[in-house]
Amino acid sequence: MEVKRTVLVHESDNVLTAFSDFSAGEIVSVQLDTGDIEVELLDDIAFGHKIAVRSIEAGSPIVKYGCTIGKATQEIKIGQWVHTHNVGDDYQEN
Amino acid sequence: MLDKNRPTTFRGYRRPDGTVGVRNYVAVISTVWCANTVTGDIAARVRGAVPITHSQGCPGVPIDLEMVSRTLIGLGTNPNVYAVVFVGLGCESVGTKQILEMVEQSGRPVEFVCVQDSGGTVQATARGIAAAARFAQFASELNREECSIAELVVGTKCGSSDSTSGPSANRVVGFVADRIIEVGGAFIIGEICDLLGTENILADRAVSPEIAKKIFTAVGDYIERGRSLGLDIVGSNVTYGNKKGGITTLVEKSLGAVSKCGTAKVTNVLDYGDRVSEHGLYIIKGPARSLELLTGQAAAGAQLNLWTTGRGTPGGNPLLPVIKITGNANTWNNQETNMDFDASGIIAGTVSVEEYGKDLFAEMVRVASGKLTKSEILKCDQLMDIEGYGHLI
Repeated sequence: MEVKRTVLVHESDNVLTAFSDFSAGEIVSVQLDTGDIEVELLDDIAFGHKIAVRSIEAGSPIVKYGCTIGKATQEIKIGQWVHTHNVGDDYQEN
Repeated sequence: MLDKNRPTTFRGYRRPDGTVGVRNYVAVISTVWCANTVTGDIAARVRGAVPITHSQGCPGVPIDLEMVSRTLIGLGTNPNVYAVVFVGLGCESVGTKQILEMVEQSGRPVEFVCVQDSGGTVQATARGIAAAARFAQFASELNREECSIAELVVGTKCGSSDSTSGPSANRVVGFVADRIIEVGGAFIIGEICDLLGTENILADRAVSPEIAKKIFTAVGDYIERGRSLGLDIVGSNVTYGNKKGGITTLVEKSLGAVSKCGTAKVTNVLDYGDRVSEHGLYIIKGPARSLELLTGQAAAGAQLNLWTTGRGTPGGNPLLPVIKITGNANTWNNQETNMDFDASGIIAGTVSVEEYGKDLFAEMVRVASGKLTKSEILKCDQLMDIEGYGHLI
């Protein structure tokens, strides 16, 4: 059986990056700063894409590398696919 | 704090100006692109000589000529260079006289061959070979000696990145960057496009408000320059291919890239052609293309380069040994002939960033002490150029 891969870059992140193709219903284990959890995937997740590992309210930061990479444009549940359909790129030039 | 299992020294070539080389080249340097054929022929005929060719030198707008002059001085005084044979045409706009003087002041043997004064390329090539050959024999008598890692200036680059790069290989390089700076060395990143979206984070790490301002200015100027050329760099940086591969936002892409520079405070932002002056973390205002970026790092005094790749790219640089690092297992397995370091265990979940970081640091010390890298062995390291803002003339 193929071993499925994921990477949590920083323990304070709220998204996990998939390095295998996953199907909805699969379970992934994550070691967050708040403790170890099991996440059931609510969507199919392709290689390189992100999974929410904490619930994220609309307007809240998406956190990866320990930093805000964008804001949720709608409520995101644990296990959902996180990408351009529910994340706003809110970079502002200085 | 250093522990006794970490290497603290490497074996390098001490130069008259106090710097230390990880290689011992006779650099044959074109002052202007017209001399490139002669430069290449001289270097090809002399063991231990490397050709430094480029597309700059004349004509040029003042800002470019000044930058190119500074860069040529930096290349001639790069720590990996034992001696220099400069090759010029005779009528170039770049400040040849000043370049020669500055490199001579470093204590290195310098010779200048002028194509027009020599009577043409054949004669110039013969004179250049004679000079380079003499230097190469002197160079061959120099031995490596034990030097502190604090004397290393290391550059980094990412090329042909994919979704594995940020979470794996780049973080390993960041670990090594922190360690190099911790022991007193210097580390250089460039590619201003990679910083887009992280300037607030980097500015918070600047050693002073003045340096924080330079970070914002470098990014702002870059965006403006893009606009003046019809490019919306902010809107287009995350490409269709990036999004298909999982990158959602500009900041996510840049954070992945900037992972290469670790967590140290940012000491300064350098113009292209400027020299690193003390230990710390430096940003060079350089382009993403390795052709020009690694040259800028060499001119800044770097002795080697840590280059991460996702999909695999074979390139290097004539003056800087490049250690090619990938976190993509397929790339390592399929292109091992061009790869130097496998960091794919991070994605596999079998090896940590710290474990790979220590291994990469040790590999860097081996390369600094003489181990050849794949791009050196396979001679994929010949291509280079010098940055210019544009051929207005």
